Amino acid sequence: MRIRSLFLFRRYSIPVFIIILLLSALIVMSLRVKQRKGIDFADAVLMEFCAPFQKVSNFVIKAIHGVFQEYLFLVHLQRENVVLKQRMAELQKENHQMKEMALANERLYKLLQFREKISPSVTAAEVIGQDPSSWFKSVTINKGEKDGVRTGMAVISPEGVVGQILKTAPHYSTVLLITDYNSAIDSIIQRTRAKAIVEGKGENRCQLKYLLRTEEVIVGDGVVTSGLSGNFPKGLMVGEVRKVDKKGHGVFQYAELVPSVDLTKLEEVLVITGSSLPPQEEKEKKGKKAPVRPSRRRGGS
Amino acid sequence: MRRIVFPLFLGVIFLTFQSTLLAFLPIQSIRPDIVLILTLYLGLFYPPISGGILAVFMGFLMDLFSGNSFGLYTLSRPLIFYAAQFFKGRLYLESFISQFLFVFIFGLGEGFLIFILLDVLNPGPISNLSPLLFTLLLPQVFVTGLVTPIFFFLLHKGFLSFFGHPEMELVERGDRS
Repeated sequence: MRIRSLFLFRRYSIPVFIIILLLSALIVMSLRVKQRKGIDFADAVLMEFCAPFQKVSNFVIKAIHGVFQEYLFLVHLQRENVVLKQRMAELQKENHQMKEMALANERLYKLLQFREKISPSVTAAEVIGQDPSSWFKSVTINKGEKDGVRTGMAVISPEGVVGQILKTAPHYSTVLLITDYNSAIDSIIQRTRAKAIVEGKGENRCQLKYLLRTEEVIVGDGVVTSGLSGNFPKGLMVGEVRKVDKKGHGVFQYAELVPSVDLTKLEEVLVITGSSLPPQEEKEKKGKKAPVRPSRRRGGS
Repeated sequence: MRRIVFPLFLGVIFLTFQSTLLAFLPIQSIRPDIVLILTLYLGLFYPPISGGILAVFMGFLMDLFSGNSFGLYTLSRPLIFYAAQFFKGRLYLESFISQFLFVFIFGLGEGFLIFILLDVLNPGPISNLSPLLFTLLLPQVFVTGLVTPIFFFLLHKGFLSFFGHPEMELVERGDRS
C-alpha cells in the first residue's frame, strides 16, 4: 500500500504541482483586484529591485540618443532655427495677450469676491520606463512614497493631463495614462461647458462618453478637467475633439479625443502631491482667529 | 540554484529592454514581446516545476510595471508555459518558419486569452478593445514571431555556455520528456 501510494505520488506530482501553481496565480489575481496589503508589499519590493535597471537603461539610451541628435543629425538645423524663431515671436505676442486676459480675469474675480484658485504643490518626476505590454498604457516614474506620492494622485505636464498614480513603491511609482481603457476623468468642453467623461481607448486616443445629445460639440473643441473628481484641479487641458459620433439615437453622443500631451514621448511629468492655500488667504484665516474687542462710542446716547 | 537565478536575471533584463529600449520604437504596435519569447523558450527546454515558477514570476513582473490592475499575466504566462511544455520534444523547431509559427500562434492565443479575461472581469463592456485585436495584437505577434529565431539562437548559445549542455542537465522528479 505504501509503495503504491508512493508510486501514485511520483506519477501525479507534476500535474498536482501545475494545478497548485495555477491556483496560486488565480489567488494572486484576486488579491491584486482587492488591493490587499500583502500584494502591495510584494509589488513595492520587486519594483524597488527592478526599477533601477530601467533607470540605468533609460539613462544609457537617452545618452546615445542625445549624441545622435546633437552631433550627428545636424541636417536642417539652420532651417529649423529660423522656423522656431518665427514661432517664438508669434507665441510671445500670444503670451502677452493671454497675460492681459489673465489680469482682467483676476480683477473680475476680486470684484465678485470669488475665492482664489488653490495652487497645488507639485513634485517633478522623470519617466524611466513604459508599459511592457501593449494592451495597457502606463509609465514608471522615479518618485515614490518617500517623495510624498500616493495612489490616486494626478499626474500632469505643462501641455496637460497625463494620468494618475496607480501603484507606489518607496522610490518609484506606476502612472496609469489617460489613454488606458481603465482611466476615466471628469471633464467639460471648454467652449460650451458641457460635462462628459473622458475614457481611454487603448491606443493614443480617448473617448468622450456620457455627453448629452442636446449639448453642442464640434471638431476642434478643447476639453478640460472639471475639477469635480477632486484629483485633478479644474481647467487642466485634456485634449482636443477629433471626431463626433451621434450614433443615430439615444440620450448621449460620443466623441473621439486626441490627448494634448504626446504620451509616446513623455520624459518629465509633475505629480500633484497636495494643495496649499496662497499666503493672502492664510493671513485672512489668521485674522479671523484674533478676538474682536468692542469699540467705545463718543458722546451720544 | 543557478538554473533559477540565471533565467530570472534574464527575465528582468528582457523586461527592462522591453519597457525602455523597445519603447523608443516609433510605432508601438510593432514592439515585440521578448519576455514572451523567453517564456516559450523555457517552456520548450526547462523542466515543469522550476520553469513554471519562473513563468509565474515573469508574469508577475509584467503586471507590476503594467497598468494592468487585474494581474492577468501572472495567470496567462504559466498557462502558455505549460501549453508549450506539451509540445516539448514533439515538434521540429529548428527552422525559421517553425519557430515563427510557434511563437505567433502562442502569442495570438495569449492575446485572445487576455481579451477574454478582460471582458469577463470588467464590470462594463469593453468595446474599445475589440479593434485592438487587429490593429495591435496581430502586428505585435507577427513582429514577435519574426525576431524569435534570433532570440532562440542567442538563448540557446547562452544556456549552452552557462550550463554546458543543450538540455541544461535539468531533470526533475516526474519529468517524463
